[in-house]
Amino acid sequence: MDTAANHVGFVMAAYLLSFLCLVALATFIIARDRRLKAEVELLERDRNRKKTS
Amino acid sequence: MQYLANPTRFLKLTNPLIPLAWWVMFILLAVGLYGALVSSPPDYQQGESVRIMYVHVPAAWMALFVYSVMALASAVAVIFRHPLADVAAKTAAPIGAVFCFLALATGSLWGKPMWGAWWVWDARLTSMFVLMLLYLGYIAIWQAIDEPHRAAMIARIVALVGFINVPIVKFSVDWWNSLHQPASVFRMSGPTIAPSMLWPLLVMGLAYTFMFVALHLIAIRAEIAARKIRQIHIAEIGER
Repeated sequence: MDTAANHVGFVMAAYLLSFLCLVALATFIIARDRRLKAEVELLERDRNRKKTS
Repeated sequence: MQYLANPTRFLKLTNPLIPLAWWVMFILLAVGLYGALVSSPPDYQQGESVRIMYVHVPAAWMALFVYSVMALASAVAVIFRHPLADVAAKTAAPIGAVFCFLALATGSLWGKPMWGAWWVWDARLTSMFVLMLLYLGYIAIWQAIDEPHRAAMIARIVALVGFINVPIVKFSVDWWNSLHQPASVFRMSGPTIAPSMLWPLLVMGLAYTFMFVALHLIAIRAEIAARKIRQIHIAEIGER
């Protein structure tokens, strides 16, 4: 790619925007998955403890 | 299909697929970006701006594909009462909305240097904007209604009725006069795009598809966990 060509700023902006949005989406989805997984484990542990006591 | 109705069975089957989808996505993305930014030539008319195509077009394809997945999952939920179909549709929506936003935003960044305008209300752009509104409306239904069964019923109707917009987006450039260029890849008479530009575009499209598969499976797993938490809380209230 010729970085001195016309309108290269638009090309870079398009790639940067795509990268940021997709990374943000992936981070949000993975973080939600981990948070909920930890919450389920905690709740199940509490339930088992209550059942045994 | 009913075999996968059990969430535990579904997770057991799909969990190994997630790292595989990530690895395939990363390899395809690396190859696709090399093709898009290094090996493919500039366009004889658009110059270097044509490279926006390699992120804009796959995002637009995915926006249409993900909405089709939502409509299919909603139809499966209506016809077969498959318990995971609503979960699949619900979790696909935010991913599709991001792809739709990217198609609109990168299209705008392509439109300014090529057309001299960030936005025009022509058939393709307007129908894509309607698709974005459908995504946001669908997400809003799930957010606004607390009772999952009621939310699912209304969301199914939106997904199925809204699906009519998908062929409108696809064929808008053929049915109406449009500033947007006509289809150049998925055509009855074959692609009109040069092979040196076609292969990076298809590889980027595949990379986006595998990204959707990985993110969708993780989002389904998270939604199953969210429903399990809800069930545990309801059971606790019942026990008191």
